[in-house]
Amino acid sequence: MNHSFYFKLAATNIKKNSKTYFPYILTCIGTIIVFYIMHALSINPQVGDGSLALMLSFGTQVIAIFSIIFLFYTNSFLIKRRKKELGLYNILGMEKKHIAKVLSLETIYVAVFSLIVGLLSGILTSKLMFLLLLKITHFSAQMDFYFSISSVTAVLVVFGFIFAVTLLNNLHQIHLANPIELLNGSQTGEKEPKTKWLLAVIGFICLGIGYYIALTTESPLAAMGLFFIAVILVIIGTYSLFIAGSVAFLKKLRNNKYFYYKPKNFLNISGLIYRMKQNAVGLANICILSTGVLIVLSTTVSMYIGQKDVIRTRYPQNVMISTMDTTPYSEKAPDNIKYIVDTKLQEYKFTADNMIDYTYLTIAAEESGYVFSVDSSNIVDSSSNVRHLYFILLDDYNRIEHKSQTLDENEVLLFTGNQKYGYESLEIINKKYSIKEKLDSINIPTTNTNSAITCYYIIVKDIAVLNTFDKELPTQSLHYYIGFDIDGSEEDIISLTNSIDISLTENYPSLVESAAKAKSTFYALYGGLLFLGIFIGALFIMATVLIIYYKQISEGYDDKERFTIMKQVGMSTDEVKKTIHSQVLMVFFIPLIAAVIHIAVAFQIMTKLLAVLYLTNIFLFALCTLGTIAIFTIFYAIVYSLTARVYYKIVN
Amino acid sequence: MPILQVNNLKKIYTTRFGGSHVQALTNVCFSVDAGEYVAIMGESGSGKTTLLNILASLDKPTTGEVLLNHKNIVSISEKEISAFRRTNLGFVFQNFNLLDTFSIQDNIFLPLVLSNTPYDNMIKRLEPISIQLGITDILKKYPYEVSGGQKQRAAVARALITNPQIILADEPTGALDSRASDQLLRLFSEINHRGQTILMVTHSIKAASNANRVLFIKDGEVFHQLYKGSMSDDAMYQKISDTLTTIATGSVKEVSK
Repeated sequence: MNHSFYFKLAATNIKKNSKTYFPYILTCIGTIIVFYIMHALSINPQVGDGSLALMLSFGTQVIAIFSIIFLFYTNSFLIKRRKKELGLYNILGMEKKHIAKVLSLETIYVAVFSLIVGLLSGILTSKLMFLLLLKITHFSAQMDFYFSISSVTAVLVVFGFIFAVTLLNNLHQIHLANPIELLNGSQTGEKEPKTKWLLAVIGFICLGIGYYIALTTESPLAAMGLFFIAVILVIIGTYSLFIAGSVAFLKKLRNNKYFYYKPKNFLNISGLIYRMKQNAVGLANICILSTGVLIVLSTTVSMYIGQKDVIRTRYPQNVMISTMDTTPYSEKAPDNIKYIVDTKLQEYKFTADNMIDYTYLTIAAEESGYVFSVDSSNIVDSSSNVRHLYFILLDDYNRIEHKSQTLDENEVLLFTGNQKYGYESLEIINKKYSIKEKLDSINIPTTNTNSAITCYYIIVKDIAVLNTFDKELPTQSLHYYIGFDIDGSEEDIISLTNSIDISLTENYPSLVESAAKAKSTFYALYGGLLFLGIFIGALFIMATVLIIYYKQISEGYDDKERFTIMKQVGMSTDEVKKTIHSQVLMVFFIPLIAAVIHIAVAFQIMTKLLAVLYLTNIFLFALCTLGTIAIFTIFYAIVYSLTARVYYKIVN
Repeated sequence: MPILQVNNLKKIYTTRFGGSHVQALTNVCFSVDAGEYVAIMGESGSGKTTLLNILASLDKPTTGEVLLNHKNIVSISEKEISAFRRTNLGFVFQNFNLLDTFSIQDNIFLPLVLSNTPYDNMIKRLEPISIQLGITDILKKYPYEVSGGQKQRAAVARALITNPQIILADEPTGALDSRASDQLLRLFSEINHRGQTILMVTHSIKAASNANRVLFIKDGEVFHQLYKGSMSDDAMYQKISDTLTTIATGSVKEVSK
């Protein structure tokens, strides 16, 4: 055969199948663009090699893995639809190796075209994306046009691999194909799906456990580990319930004769059983992807919006200074440190507001009943009973809070934040203290860097009490804290804190922190996360749209025949349209509903996870979640109605 | 008394962009009496399918009328037409047209369910029909699990269960082997003997020779008709065969009515 014949045939094949190939090529281009941009940004020297670059390269990996799975999935959908066509070629006299040649050429066309278009658009838009990244991370860098050969190489390697794998799969399909079977395949009729009770039960249990974990996990640190277990369980549960649970449920409905033999139920239930068999996996995919989009976007958006809150939560005072664990404490230390800070403030012409200073001792302990065990080997970080105990002297407390409390040696005041404490006494290192008063509030900021662990404030009579601990726990030492708010430019504040840091180093090495100094790190972190969220969200949305589109098309071809039969048996066009519409509507909105339920259940554990990242504004998170759901639903509805049009065109 | 009266039926198809017109039916007139078993024969393209579609109220004629029990089905509104079709007409198709998503029983119930018939009533109606058609054993099975002949009998059951005025059959033996065809034709005769009016479009001389009367359509017109009278099936077969040859060769020979 003439060689140009193959090239021509491959080209016409793509054109003829444009209804399915066009979206596929668009997706290839889209994923290439996303991957190129993410990769180019992650290795852009201007981004540096800090946490932002790390995050971006993580994003690159996620996108690569996702692209492999997703493009492979869509391609196998395409080739399945074309089996009949390929069988026809075989019958018309093309050998399998000829068909293989045509398919290879097709893949090469698609690959070359999407790589060229994808890379060009990627290179062109990457600068725009870089600007966006700088904007949302408040990163300052020069705006050079950056073109990365190594990113281009990475794209070629990753997507070359993807296209090669899809081609191999296609060739494998031809190899399996039996032309006669292929031609008659569509007439044999679908078997009714069997009820897979075991799978349904497994799905139910997995989902149940996943939900239980999500709803009951109290400790943020435990949440981190358990979250992924819950996610995996929920994914397994979702798939098995979509596959088996749905059929089992529908069959139960069908067994109720008086319910089933009503016009609407009759057609819907039988139609859905049939649809679920073919679409369960696709619908579960849509559900999981939608859930992913919603979680990624709602968390990253709320963190980005809430970053001012976050910074304030992390830094209750503008400047926070506390002595290190290794810094020796003496009676004179507070005065000396305060003196140094004061002189520096004067030197830099700052007036400090809300200056707070106190001496404290901090111990991690595990709460069980009224006993606080401080044996560090027993303390499991992820346990929800771990507390940071801040011991503060009564004098400091009275001074800061303007109170005049008095305490006995074995008496304490206790503040437990949001946590309830149900006892009238507490025991630490074999010594019992009675609680004179449980405080409702306290104005003493701490340098607790881990908001995931609950802090208890214990106010004790005097330093003698703490010294007894000191003997028992030689690793712990007394600290001195001083913090204040100041007004000024960020640069001035940073130079002040640097200068304080240097002057304290000699005698009292301390941790000198300021919100100003941390801001850039926070912006990079949260901006980077948002950027990543937008990109991965966009990718997921692209996948969701494509799956919905392909589902509609394949449903359309399947329903065409049913549509004619129903009309002949005595249903009006309107009735048929209505039943089909209601079925399609149900089928496509079930995944969204399931996704929203997942989100609702996950909300609790998400707030715990966000607390680890200092976002404690639950209201903001709730708002962002609702907002994302609302926007996503609208978007979903639009995609649905657009693809439904394609569907009705096929059916009519 | 005619149960079906077809007067001056004319159908012109226009291609999508109005380019060319194709006359499928020129002027069709005939009537079917209650309890009759009529076969319509004609070559491909003679207008058989168009005629059946119009009788089935799936298509509208360009001019002319179709009276079923004195009611002109051409003028029934789009809204009522499906309900009308459901209650008055029974269909049997060449390719059975059973829905894969339903069991045989549910396929048979389909028109009844659509008319909101209570379940107990449906069961009552199904029983005698399923015994008569010999499909009691396969009621719970699905279309893909049974043979072509069984599928076609299920389709007949679906057509009968509504007690229609007339059964319209489109090449009912077209997809069946000779044994299943014979069985189906016997069944049709049996049903007809019980008073059911049947109108069948067919290519098969054998099927047509089973009917009381055969109408021949050529170029969109009823060209000729044959009454079976007291003739045997074989004699009828011969006569139909002769007539078809005559029609095909074009020499018009007056055949006695």
